[in-house]
Amino acid sequence: MNLDYSLLVPEFLLALAGVVVLLADTFRGELKSGRQLLPWLTVFGAALYGATGAAAGSMTSEFAGIFAVDAFTAFFRVLFAVTLVVVVVGSHEYVSKNIRHQGEFYTMLLFATVGASFMAGARELLTAYVGIELLSFSLYVAVSLAKSDSRSGEAGLKYVLLGGLASATLLYGLSLVYGAGGSTSYVEIAKNLEHVEGLRMPLVLGLVMVIAGVGFKASAVPFHMWTPDAYEGAPLPVTAILSATSKAAAFALILRLFSGPFLPVIGEWRTTIAILSLSTMVVGNLIALQQTNIKRLLAYSSIAQVGYMLMAVVTMSDVSASALLLHMGGYLVTNLAVFMGVIAFYNHSNTEEISGLHGLAETNPFLAMVLAAGLLSLSGMPLLAGFTTKFILFQAAASGGYLWLVTLAVIMSTISLFYYLKVIRQMYVVLPDGSQLPYATEPSVRQERWSMSPSSTLVVSVLFLGIVVVGLYVAPLAVAADNAARALFKA
Amino acid sequence: MISLTHYLVLSGVLFALGFYGVLVRRSAILILIAVELMLAAVSINFVAFASYLDAKLFTGVIFAIFVITIAAAEVGLALGIVLRIYRERSTANVDEASTLKW
Repeated sequence: MNLDYSLLVPEFLLALAGVVVLLADTFRGELKSGRQLLPWLTVFGAALYGATGAAAGSMTSEFAGIFAVDAFTAFFRVLFAVTLVVVVVGSHEYVSKNIRHQGEFYTMLLFATVGASFMAGARELLTAYVGIELLSFSLYVAVSLAKSDSRSGEAGLKYVLLGGLASATLLYGLSLVYGAGGSTSYVEIAKNLEHVEGLRMPLVLGLVMVIAGVGFKASAVPFHMWTPDAYEGAPLPVTAILSATSKAAAFALILRLFSGPFLPVIGEWRTTIAILSLSTMVVGNLIALQQTNIKRLLAYSSIAQVGYMLMAVVTMSDVSASALLLHMGGYLVTNLAVFMGVIAFYNHSNTEEISGLHGLAETNPFLAMVLAAGLLSLSGMPLLAGFTTKFILFQAAASGGYLWLVTLAVIMSTISLFYYLKVIRQMYVVLPDGSQLPYATEPSVRQERWSMSPSSTLVVSVLFLGIVVVGLYVAPLAVAADNAARALFKA
Repeated sequence: MISLTHYLVLSGVLFALGFYGVLVRRSAILILIAVELMLAAVSINFVAFASYLDAKLFTGVIFAIFVITIAAAEVGLALGIVLRIYRERSTANVDEASTLKW
């Protein structure tokens, strides 16, 4: 057994950063630096984690048979690190204005990322479960952290109760899988499931319950009920983490489970996931049409994206896994750009309503452009990240033989354009005084222009560049995704 | 002789009772108790499988210990959130927490 603790250095550094942030917040009186230090410590910890994680990218090793350190883990470590840095820098102004318990806030984000990292690397059921709970517990606290907003507490309550139900279901499923597979190690389960006879019934029941549990984490319909409420009630940066880190970690776990231990019994779960994918993209897109709150709109839009991503799980192979990882990267960049834009907008205007965005193209053209690019990329417009990665994802699913599912996904993508354009219309067609473009007379009072804080400007510009670069030159990300997928199937 | 099936039926019944409790209860505290019932069913499953599959490999028992520990942490956390709701609205009933819809 390989007990080389240096394999886990990235996670240790991240957890250490969490503890240091908590201590720095407790002793901020003695340190005389106030709370200025906390975001810097967080960013520093996340950067160290990302750098050490990327440095281990060429390794193929395993810690005690429970945690794999390979290209797949490295891919997700870098994704999580980038997400954390972006969210912390981009929401600096928001946090200092709206969140009283900053030490706890940054600590919870760091611990959530540790949990996500363990979900991505786990090669054993217990490790994966502890990772899930570390991620979930941190997010339960983070969602209900806005003490001045009563929606936050309600969102936290709904999230924690439904989350408890989901994790109990997942655990029951895992216990049945453990019974049928005879082990908690992914490798052993895969070996034993190739000729499972007596325990067919418990195995199928266990698989369904595991799918329900991870489907809850990834917010697939019909396990999505918590998503819109938690997204709307949570503070904006936490919503960004929910839609990025939490979702990516859920898919990392799904990929590890369904490409390894559950692959021998693919016939038992393929149809279930296909139905899940179908209902997720239909329900997500259709309910998104009638949203008026931007956070809720983005919640349903992210549910719809999960539906597309699940298609790649249905046709599980190294090609579709690579396409899924690529789309995950493109989705994260795009989604973070939109969220950081919304945070910058909220800092100025204190509103989350879509109608509040009216005339943004007049008052802050740069932010309006970034938001428009992000939303168009989410819907899959060419030249932007969302188109390229989605195209490769759909292609992988189609060549896997699920053409009917892909056809539906294309139709749903077209429908999604409607609600993204609704937001863009508010920014570009409606003028700041509320009148609409074609009929408007010359505006009587010219609206003041406003600009974002320097940190927001930096993050939003970088993410905008990211959307365009991934859209036009996808090769580096595709190579990384390819390596990760290959490591996944080799292990 | 008590067979593996006996344990599985017991845990299945316990799990179903817990699930029923989550669905019908209105108070957040009672829902938490029902979730605990479901987790107890999980522990029974793990220990039963561990002793019937391979008495020397006790991964299942360790899993059960982790489940108990994490469940305790979860209840502590959830009660904190319930307390906050109670302070704000003087009720811990989930059907009255309904400002967020659709």
